[in-house]
Amino acid sequence: MDLLQSVINGVLLGTLYGLFGLGLAFGFGIMRIVNVAQGEFIVLSAYIGLVLGPFIPIYPLLLIVPVAVISFGYGYGLQGLMLNRVVGKDPMPPLLITFGLSIVLRNLMVEVWSADYRSINIGTLKFQGFGLLGLRIGVLPLVIMGIVLLLFVALHLLMTRTRFGRLARATADDYETIQFFGVDYRQVYCIAMGISAALAAAAGMLIAMRSTFNPFSGVDRLLISFEVVVIGGLGSLWGMVLGGIILGVTQLVSLQYDPNAGLMYAHIVFFIILMVLPSGLSSWRRR
Amino acid sequence: MPLLEVDDLQVFYGDFQALFGVGIKVAEGETVSIIGANGAGKSTFLRAITGINREKKGRIVFDGADITNERAHNIARRGISIVPEGRRLFPSLTVEENLLTGSATGRDGPWTVERVMELFPMLGDLRHQVATRISGGQQQMVAIGRALLANPRILLCDELSLGLAPKVINSIYAKFDEIRRGGVSILLVEQDVTRACSAADHIYCFLEGRISLEGAAKDFSVEEISRAYFGT
Repeated sequence: MDLLQSVINGVLLGTLYGLFGLGLAFGFGIMRIVNVAQGEFIVLSAYIGLVLGPFIPIYPLLLIVPVAVISFGYGYGLQGLMLNRVVGKDPMPPLLITFGLSIVLRNLMVEVWSADYRSINIGTLKFQGFGLLGLRIGVLPLVIMGIVLLLFVALHLLMTRTRFGRLARATADDYETIQFFGVDYRQVYCIAMGISAALAAAAGMLIAMRSTFNPFSGVDRLLISFEVVVIGGLGSLWGMVLGGIILGVTQLVSLQYDPNAGLMYAHIVFFIILMVLPSGLSSWRRR
Repeated sequence: MPLLEVDDLQVFYGDFQALFGVGIKVAEGETVSIIGANGAGKSTFLRAITGINREKKGRIVFDGADITNERAHNIARRGISIVPEGRRLFPSLTVEENLLTGSATGRDGPWTVERVMELFPMLGDLRHQVATRISGGQQQMVAIGRALLANPRILLCDELSLGLAPKVINSIYAKFDEIRRGGVSILLVEQDVTRACSAADHIYCFLEGRISLEGAAKDFSVEEISRAYFGT
């Protein structure tokens, strides 16, 4: 029974891990930019949430919206001011810039907020739960999973049913040709990075409601983001959800047997999947 | 005043000079062909006009405005549209989505997806097909349709016949009259000399980055064109 409980909790946690990967994959998919600062974006958004909280007296879950909007802004600005200058055939310059950015952000956060562990106070919701078939299901994790799935669906619709989605996919295919039809590819990139940062912000706020964070948590978040994208296979939204679930379930089930292991077993499972299916889960389905 | 006027254009790829001061004029409603062998500089010329290639000297004037140093997406919005060499359709998009990207220029005009479907009825069944899974001829139709959906004032066509069967090329060129009737001027780059001459009012022949011949197509004999083409 405990095992089943861990699996259920792992699924709930795992969908959130899927969201970690979504922002990273979006940036890479459109612009071939690997955002090494993704982890720091995730953590920074939680700090922004903490700062805004006292000034915007709304329900903490709704605080995600203004934080995401602010994150969209700095993502857009980062792309416009820095990354657009180096984007191109060589993946190294953007990689180096985002790597440097991650170090700067991490240390800035320590300066401003110290290395103490914090979390976002969600009130009694954190402890609410209900019984179902002998299992205990937390309300907050369930709500978080609902929000995550909503975001995945929203992104899917954005990319397949809107004009922006069409132009973004075209720009990702061929940024030169899209200019022939009046589209400034650099602006598409700015919007894409903004969306990527906003997704990271949603993920950051949600995980901060479930667990604690400090400026160095970004490293773990980045690792999960990468693993989720790699397991899922590039270009597959639902592969990422599945990848996240695999990691989440592995993490929580392994805690039953080895309470101090942390994410180790999840990382091991990731490694095994990488060896067996280098192109990710979605490539297995395509075969 | 001509719709498009290029004056003393020199184009570079880094240290390499591809064009050495070429000039053409396209009047409103005219069809102008550019012929020449591989490497003569024809595609480079079109890329310079569209603004994709920015290493240039000289003047490009479109509808009275100097667009020599403008960015490509702004030039497109002024009404210059291109059917690129090799089609360059977007592989992640369906036929219909590819066509719709053309309308991103935001220009008003007679061309809509429905009208393109009337021009190329074969595309009707292929609307939701992924663009790269159709035949070369069909892809060319989509590329032309996409350029038309930008509602341009001038349509640049870069090697339309490349890689296509003669019957297919014929059916595509047959549509040019209808395209022209919409008021679009055409600047055509073609390796096939006969087709270029029969489709155009005026021709220019490029040879190694320079113009070796220009004038009304019917004014020249086969020998004269040959000499200008091959440089003998």
